[in-house]
Parts: sequence; C-alpha cells; structure tokens
Amino acid sequence: MNEQRKDILEMLAEGKITAVEAEQLIAALERSQPPATSTAETRPKTKAKYLRVLVDNVENGEPGRVNVRVPLQLLRAGVKLAALIPPQALGQATIELNKSGVPFDLTQLKPEQLEALIEHLDEVTVEVDQPDAKVRVFCE
Amino acid sequence: MPQVVTVRVNRPTGRPVRIWVPLLPIALVLLPVLVLAAVVAAVAAAVYRVNALTALRTGWGVVSALRGTRIDVEHGRTAVLVAIH
Repeated sequence: MNEQRKDILEMLAEGKITAVEAEQLIAALERSQPPATSTAETRPKTKAKYLRVLVDNVENGEPGRVNVRVPLQLLRAGVKLAALIPPQALGQATIELNKSGVPFDLTQLKPEQLEALIEHLDEVTVEVDQPDAKVRVFCE
Repeated sequence: MPQVVTVRVNRPTGRPVRIWVPLLPIALVLLPVLVLAAVVAAVAAAVYRVNALTALRTGWGVVSALRGTRIDVEHGRTAVLVAIH
C-alpha cells in the first residue's frame, strides 16, 4: 500500500477526517500520481540483442580498455555450427581438454542446452573487480 | 548480411587511419575463390557425413549474424577498432 494512502486511512480510523473527506483525498492522490504501468520497473524489458564484454586494466602503467560487442544471433548461429561438428572430433577435443586439466565432456553438451543458455544470457551480468583490472560481461 | 567493415587504427605517432571496406564488391571479386571454398566444404561435409546443405545454411547464418559485431581495443595511446555494419 502506498504510504500517503495509508496515512489517509489512519486519519480516518482515528476520526480526524470523515469518510467523505478520506474518499476525496484518495481521489486527489490518485489524480496526482501517474499510473503504475508507466514506471520503469514495471515496463516490460526489451529482449537483449548483444553480448558485451568490457575490460578496463592498467598494464605497465598505461590504461587499457577492451570493449567487445557480439550479437547474440551470432552465438545462436555458432551453436548451430557446433552441432555439425562430428562426434569423433568432439571426443578428441574432450580428451585434449582433460589433458589440459579441464574435465569437461563436450560430447554430453547438447545443442538445445546451449540454446537455453543463450536464451537466458540476457539475465546474466558478471562483474570482476580487481585493483588493476575490471571486467564486466552483460547483455544489452 | 554485413555490408561494410570499418577498421580504425590510432597510433601514438602519426595520424589515425580509418578504413571502410565494402563487403559486396569484395565478395564479387572473390567469387571464384568462394565457389572453390564451397566445393571444398561440400567434399569435407561428405567425408564427415554432414548434410552439405545444412552446413552451407549454417555457415551463411554465421556470416549474416556478424552484423553489429564491434571489437574495440585500446592500450595507452594505441587503439584498434573493428566494426561490422
């Protein structure tokens, strides 16, 4: 409940104002406030189109900046392309990943899982803050 | 499909360089090479038992989706920007 509306109802309960006055005050309050649907919080979010990667760092005393914008459509196309990779190639890649200390089985990764991952990417924001570097990954 | 690639290079010394590369004329010039690449891709698809048409469509999808990509790298007074429009 809105704070001002609550105050009016409390005044009515305490007998400071009549029911008619309370009704008039609430009506005036509603006229002075914009409809709730037009606020930024309730407005439907537009679908993200790009994946952004921003890196700010200082190397050898000089500031550096990397700003990458990748269309999410490109990631979707990449997933479709990855689905065409022959299973034997994925098996070999998995073996190499394991050798490098990355225990990840690429053969278990299904295209529909990647699709779902990309679909929900727009809700993801990754921020890494360090004294000499700052990384932000988000969708817009 | 992407139309233009913009490349901008700023160096600590000298003037900044900005190049606009129109892709359509370049694609026309490189058409024989592209046809050859498509044939090689079709053979590779047959060897690995992948539907060549699906592979071609997917490859085209990747190329088409490149539009809007932007890579901007700055370090000190040096900067490189590659943007696909």
